[in-house]
Amino acid sequence: MVAKNRARPGEHHDKENPTTASTLAAGVIHELQSIVGPSYVWTDPEKMEAYSHDETDAKTYGHMPDVVVFPKTTEEVCRIVKLANQYRVPIVPRGAGSGLSGGAIPHQGGIVVSLERMNALIELDTANMVAVVEAGMVTNDLARKVTEHGLFYAGYPMSLETCCIGGNIAENAGGGKAIKYGVTGRYILGIELVTPTGESVWLGGKLSKDVTGYDLKSLVIGSEGTLGIVTKAIVKLIGLPKAWADLLVLFHTPQEAINAVPRILTQGVVPVSIEFMDRLSIQTSCRYLNETLPYEKAGALLLIEVDGTNPEQVETDMITVGELCEEQGALEVYVAQDKNNRERIWNVRRNIAEAFKVYCPVQSLEDIVVPPSRIPDLIPELEKLSAKYGIQIPCYGHAGDGNLHATLVKDPKMDMETWKRVEDSCLRELYAAVARLGGKISGEHGIGIKRKKYFQEIANPVELELMRALKKAWDPKNIMNPGKIIDL
Amino acid sequence: MHIVVPIKQVPDTAKVKLDPETGTMIRSETDAVMNPLDLYAVETAIRLKEQYGGKITVLSMGPSSAHRTLKEALAMGCDEGVLLSDKAFAGADTWATSYALSTAIRESVPYDLIITGERATDGDTGQVGPGIAAWLNIPVATYVARIENFDGTRFTLARLTEEGYERLSVPLPCLLTVVKEIAIPRLPTLKGIKRARASEISIRGKDAFPFRDEYLGLRGSPTRVVKIETPQVSRKGEVLVIKTEEDLEKAAEEFVRFLEERALI
Repeated sequence: MVAKNRARPGEHHDKENPTTASTLAAGVIHELQSIVGPSYVWTDPEKMEAYSHDETDAKTYGHMPDVVVFPKTTEEVCRIVKLANQYRVPIVPRGAGSGLSGGAIPHQGGIVVSLERMNALIELDTANMVAVVEAGMVTNDLARKVTEHGLFYAGYPMSLETCCIGGNIAENAGGGKAIKYGVTGRYILGIELVTPTGESVWLGGKLSKDVTGYDLKSLVIGSEGTLGIVTKAIVKLIGLPKAWADLLVLFHTPQEAINAVPRILTQGVVPVSIEFMDRLSIQTSCRYLNETLPYEKAGALLLIEVDGTNPEQVETDMITVGELCEEQGALEVYVAQDKNNRERIWNVRRNIAEAFKVYCPVQSLEDIVVPPSRIPDLIPELEKLSAKYGIQIPCYGHAGDGNLHATLVKDPKMDMETWKRVEDSCLRELYAAVARLGGKISGEHGIGIKRKKYFQEIANPVELELMRALKKAWDPKNIMNPGKIIDL
Repeated sequence: MHIVVPIKQVPDTAKVKLDPETGTMIRSETDAVMNPLDLYAVETAIRLKEQYGGKITVLSMGPSSAHRTLKEALAMGCDEGVLLSDKAFAGADTWATSYALSTAIRESVPYDLIITGERATDGDTGQVGPGIAAWLNIPVATYVARIENFDGTRFTLARLTEEGYERLSVPLPCLLTVVKEIAIPRLPTLKGIKRARASEISIRGKDAFPFRDEYLGLRGSPTRVVKIETPQVSRKGEVLVIKTEEDLEKAAEEFVRFLEERALI
């Protein structure tokens, strides 16, 4: 029990620990210790294990770091990065490690820089409706703190319980609320960046408009830690919604469900989310939850949330949206206005991944994004692939913005070697289909190491060259999260 | 069959805060919801109606804002909502509440069956249901977990007790209080919400029925809430600190001894 508890930096420093970082130059550990203090430099493999993977499959993608450091200040981060440059050691910035593409994995070893001690809310500036935070602040903590002031941080993704602002920025995280509220980038007005050469700089500011030169801030947002380490951020806050209503709409077919989406989006009501689930996802999740909704006849469902500051308006919007679904042939429109019912219907969506893990834990969670109107063309492609490769491919996700988490689930009887082959061929075909439909292979999870190979195969060579040129200019020694997104 | 379901509006327990000075709940209208345990009574009534036909009246006593709770029940499938709302009813205890509700039931509607929740999550007494039955002088079955049979005049019921289930045969008219086990409440549908929005809740004051004034509200209540306190939980926990392998051994031994002393292992 005790050993399994995740150790925390600084709590139990064990001086007797032998340094296992054999690949690092002897002086590096010592110098790191002098920068952040010995308690905040970890080399014990048991403790470092948690920093060797993210939410992708640890067996496939995980790799041990040589050392994990926990800086407390921007200045310490600068010194660590300079040290890495001096010794040409890979450096991997890390937030909460809840990423889904391997962005925070030290797949070439080196130094993991965990920002978790830099988690302060530095300033809540209500006059400008912004908060200044350190990158390691847990997004949920920020959301909770600003709520106390009647404010709302709208840029948070699904894994809000654990993820942190720095990671959200690095991945330009999205989530279920993007139709109305957009993704993380919309709410990041400024960042303090430690560049790959170890200089710190503020990009952007408490500004709503800023065209002063290149928009470097936006370049960093979503760069997966390859262009530097974000240490602080100025985030935009908005007024807190006061009323919510959710609709769970059952349809006969995915086509009917998807056809309802553009109808809803063009009627003047902007929902917070429109989530889609296909038959396989519905049945697996509902059975897992013992949900008693009459879902057996449903070929697909939409989960739609509307919010606002005025309860009457929210109810009117809810009815407008519900009636549009009925016009599109909905089997039934269920309504949840109180907390318990809202929880109940969102549980159906939130438990899909868990429910499929019961069937088989080996999966490839995909993140494809297509123009929303092309989703109906995508569904038959998934069915074809599922039949061809003999695997289940449940499809669910953010229908309102075209971002779907089609998931390849291994047949429990399939051996791993076959699975690897099937996964690879199936992904290639899936990505080709997505490209034909005008889509891309990742909407919110990123490329990292998980999708690098496919990304480089499918992306335009000119675009790839621009990206390489950018990376080389920013990070001449290629030490900042090297090998992620693209090979140089 | 005409079924009457008395329901109550209660503070949303997730949002309730206690005033540390007075020890009373800080209520705000927007945070009021239908007593969660009443949902099971409403669901049971709707299922009986679906199976045997009839009509459901939901009845509540409370401030005018309680009409929202009644509309919620209508959205689920109840037919008619009646709200007893008058300053004269304010401050009623369970005795005065069951008097007022039972009078309204007796005077306004021919009824066959009354179904209530097990208790309300705010007062937590579970007395109003049986109280109504007493005032109306009809049989009552509390903690009903299953309706096993209904032959048109009598129910066969399974009643949850501490030891297990008790099977009862109860004739109409009667009052049942139901527990969670009886059914999973349905989600309201859009059609239901629209129907509920279009329907009127009839609001009745103290002159609508022949009430005895001295039985109403705070004045008619034989009991008073003198004080509400938050119980102090005082646990004397013992923390075993483990820093080395030896500590681990020691802590494990101590823990085992702790369990043995209490005959837990």
